[in-house]
Amino acid sequence: MMIITVMMLSKGKPPMEPVRQIAFILTFVLVNSIFFLMIRTGETDRWRSILFVTYAVCFVISFISNLIEARGSMAVSQANMIEGLTPFCHIVIPMTIIPAALTKTIIFPGTIIGTKTAIAGMFVLWIGSSLALGKGFCSWVCFFGGLDEGFSRLFKKARIKNVNPKWNYLPYAVLLLIVLASAVTLAPFYCEWLCPFKTVTEYPEITSAKTVIQAIIFISLFIALVMVLPALTKRRIQCSLFCPMGAFQSWTNKINVFDVRVDPEKCIECKKCIQTCPTFSINEETIAKGKTAITCMKCGKCIDACKQGAIFYHIKGTPLEGRVEIYRRLFIYPAFIFLATMSGGFVQDAIVKTIKLIITGSMF
Amino acid sequence: MKLDGFILGLSNGVACLATCAPVLIPYLLGEGKGIVRNYWVIGQFLCGRLLGYLLFAFLAWTVSSAILQEASQRNMIIGVAYILFSGLLIFYGFFKKTNATCESACNKNKYQRLLAIWPALLPAAAGFATGLSFCPPFLLAFTGAAEQTSLMMSLLFFFSFFLGTSMLFVLAPFVGVFSRFSVLQIVGKLASGIMGFYYLYSGSIMLIGGLKIL
Repeated sequence: MMIITVMMLSKGKPPMEPVRQIAFILTFVLVNSIFFLMIRTGETDRWRSILFVTYAVCFVISFISNLIEARGSMAVSQANMIEGLTPFCHIVIPMTIIPAALTKTIIFPGTIIGTKTAIAGMFVLWIGSSLALGKGFCSWVCFFGGLDEGFSRLFKKARIKNVNPKWNYLPYAVLLLIVLASAVTLAPFYCEWLCPFKTVTEYPEITSAKTVIQAIIFISLFIALVMVLPALTKRRIQCSLFCPMGAFQSWTNKINVFDVRVDPEKCIECKKCIQTCPTFSINEETIAKGKTAITCMKCGKCIDACKQGAIFYHIKGTPLEGRVEIYRRLFIYPAFIFLATMSGGFVQDAIVKTIKLIITGSMF
Repeated sequence: MKLDGFILGLSNGVACLATCAPVLIPYLLGEGKGIVRNYWVIGQFLCGRLLGYLLFAFLAWTVSSAILQEASQRNMIIGVAYILFSGLLIFYGFFKKTNATCESACNKNKYQRLLAIWPALLPAAAGFATGLSFCPPFLLAFTGAAEQTSLMMSLLFFFSFFLGTSMLFVLAPFVGVFSRFSVLQIVGKLASGIMGFYYLYSGSIMLIGGLKIL
């Protein structure tokens, strides 16, 4: 892991600038310490969450500062869109499929290739990580997930304990709607109207009543779904009850070799797993079936919480007993490589920008 | 039948189906009925649509398109229709209880009673509201209807246009093949509710826009 992270973090070329060297060393130490602790303690989610939340926060710092450096503002103008300068994000993927099949065009004002945030690159990353991790993508790769995960860990106890199971279907409703609406309007409907993360990335330049309403929707959804409700419920509300990409991603669990299994014989029905699952993916019904729901993000929180060792990572088609730690390591190696690779660049960049801000008073 | 109206409608059929799909498909999934039963629902939907078209045919002939060529009045009419329709959709998506959860003994408010007495209200309103899209073919049909020599010819022109646009709707009831997946009913209803908010926004913007012009 140390060799892989050196290669990934340095991109094959050691940094020469002192500030970048500091950022490189700090990131290297952080990433490898976390992986070491993950292996040493046998706990997955406890350590994953630290890097995952750091990744999301650093992504926001890095992304916003880069936007301001390049454009002078977080707002994306019509001119930027026409020039294809809008960074592509994985949440757009489900919306592009039908229009791409019908019109042979990608309905997003970005570039296909040539930049780090190009459409083709994001598709390759998504396909690769989905094949490797299934819906584990949402807990190990997604650069937004750490935000509501961070807020869900703010309080020690949940203020809201019961959430109507009906809301578990809301992401599928949002998915159905945005796929249909995007196919009709030939525009990424979710990005235009419903994405809470516009609040911390980029938003359409406010030039009309429509863009004011859009901004109000983005900010309200961010406050409600990413900040307040996760903090009150201790669950990843945006990821589990709203994100259409999460709903879409659930199906990749069907083709992925890793799953999370429950041994009903070892289970003492303490229900800690049900209480701790951040995505409502485990309940009495799934426990009786010996597995988690299709929405499981493989974060490992229920595995850490189960002191009986009744819940474990598993490889489909292999025996359930005896090799639990091997299965776990076979999962966390690729998962952690994705997390370290994706987070490394943003963490380094955020450290560089922060050091520059402290020393010079400017991030650039 | 007016062949020119029919061909105009036929050429616009795909666009009409696509415009209606975000409302129609979640609704059909939400109802969770089989294919045959869905034809009945589509029939109600198309009746609402036909009603809207005939209303416009009547207006086209009587006022020679003066009312609807006035942007403010046009926006206000559609805005009000959209807001009323959005209320139905939001109620259907988030408040209407399913048959399984609400037996006859359960307390129904006046909206629930309304939909229970007249279940065709929502599909008919959906057909009416989604039919009111002033796309170029619709405006062409409107102009065509306004040029007719009698009210009957004007109505016939729009009726032919309606028949043309309806041809592709024969495919929609096949959503019923998913009716055995009961979770799709919940998903469909929630999606209808969210779509209601979009129509509420569209209606409000049109209404405010219309009032501003006035």
